[in-house]
Amino acid sequence: MMRVTTMFLIMTRTRSGSFYGRARLLAVAALCFCFLPIFASAADLHPPATVEAGQAFSIPVQGSGEATFYLVGPDHIVKRTVKLGGDLEIQSGEVSSAGRYQAILCDSSCTFASFQVNAAQPAHLSFFLHPSRVPVSTPNSIDATAFVFDRYFNLVLTPAVVDFRITPASGAGFSQRVPTHHGVAWMRTSSTAHEGRVQVTAVVGSVEEARVVQQVAAEACRLNVRAVPSGKMIALETDPVRDCSGNALPDGTVVSFTTIDSAGKSTVDTPIKKGIARTEISVHGRAHVSVACGVIEGNEIAVNGRL
Amino acid sequence: MKGIADITVALKKNSRPFVSVFGFVFAVCALSVAQAPPQVHLDAEGLAPRPIEELTGTTIARHYALAWRDLAGALDSNNARGLGEEFVGFAKDRLAKRIAQQSQSGLHVRIVDHGHQLKALFYSTDGASMQLVDHAQLEIQTYDGSKLIDTQNTPHEYMILMTPGADRWYVRDLEEVSAKP
Repeated sequence: MMRVTTMFLIMTRTRSGSFYGRARLLAVAALCFCFLPIFASAADLHPPATVEAGQAFSIPVQGSGEATFYLVGPDHIVKRTVKLGGDLEIQSGEVSSAGRYQAILCDSSCTFASFQVNAAQPAHLSFFLHPSRVPVSTPNSIDATAFVFDRYFNLVLTPAVVDFRITPASGAGFSQRVPTHHGVAWMRTSSTAHEGRVQVTAVVGSVEEARVVQQVAAEACRLNVRAVPSGKMIALETDPVRDCSGNALPDGTVVSFTTIDSAGKSTVDTPIKKGIARTEISVHGRAHVSVACGVIEGNEIAVNGRL
Repeated sequence: MKGIADITVALKKNSRPFVSVFGFVFAVCALSVAQAPPQVHLDAEGLAPRPIEELTGTTIARHYALAWRDLAGALDSNNARGLGEEFVGFAKDRLAKRIAQQSQSGLHVRIVDHGHQLKALFYSTDGASMQLVDHAQLEIQTYDGSKLIDTQNTPHEYMILMTPGADRWYVRDLEEVSAKP
């Protein structure tokens, strides 16, 4: 205000020669001085443009007197009376959620400023492995997706590298390093040749999350049936049912025996037990027997039935 | 519905039936417009690693619009129950916490929603999650009691994580990021 008054005095000397003119200008200056507090706006706020989640900081505020400070965030609202001319302290817990925050300072009028809170360092992984069971030796059959979060469960949007470590039950493990894009990393891999448990671990920094996928035998391979006389019946029995990688198909897998004789066509479905499917049939005259498991057909044999 | 009932009771006092009926229809329309979900346009072109089915896209846009309608209503009324069933997980927890603190502080927020341009970024191969970015045109007015203390009329950008449920897609995470001008 000293500057304003001085300026008016200079103006009176240069532009107004009369005493009355000078007095009039002084009166106007005084009037401005009196009304200044009414029209004054709240002090400007200058928070940092970006802040890391959970980091306390301060916002310097000029001026004097008291004002009401508001902080409006994604999950936190602050309203408190503050003294101007110092620093507004923002506690770490007040900025734990990532997002846009509004800092508002009101006395006779309000000023505001916004700042961005970004996620902190990776601290949690949300890891999905799909599917839970997969046939062996199937290309691109395992999908892994990892969402990277900080300790406040904000999605970490700054790029990070997720290391997917694949550890089969037998054989050597391997890994794929995948950079995150918008906080997400995903990869696709093929199942290995041997059945059993495969552990996939997603690692980012010191954070690890492990999931397991069970590799199971694929479709049967070289399905073979043989006929053995069994009293008045004929016993049909497969060789141990395995896939092309030599993994035994699990017990309970259904094998179908189809018989075509003079009486017509009949089919018997029987589950594998201890690796072998077995059934007994009666045939009329000469018959053809075939075997199938899923979409795989085995050999066909001819038998002479007994009446 | 309470609002409609109040207006109806008030109109019953009016002796002119035509005016009453007209007024009732107007009131219902006005309230319907107020509760209408905002415009949401979904762009899922080039989505990876799984392409989006048309029905899924429609469902996501519809439920995202409903989520914003519920969000705006809940922030204005400071009633967390107004969040409805469109939010789950972190998104719901954070909004519920914010509404509780708004209510404590005597603040409320009014959102004038001018629409959302959704862009699908990631759709997991098992169909269990989708990440999207929303370029929203919002006018956000912050009130302390009845005093308007701040108005923001700038573009907003949100990163969203949605997951499917039995009959809808839920908003699981909603974070505002720095909007690109």
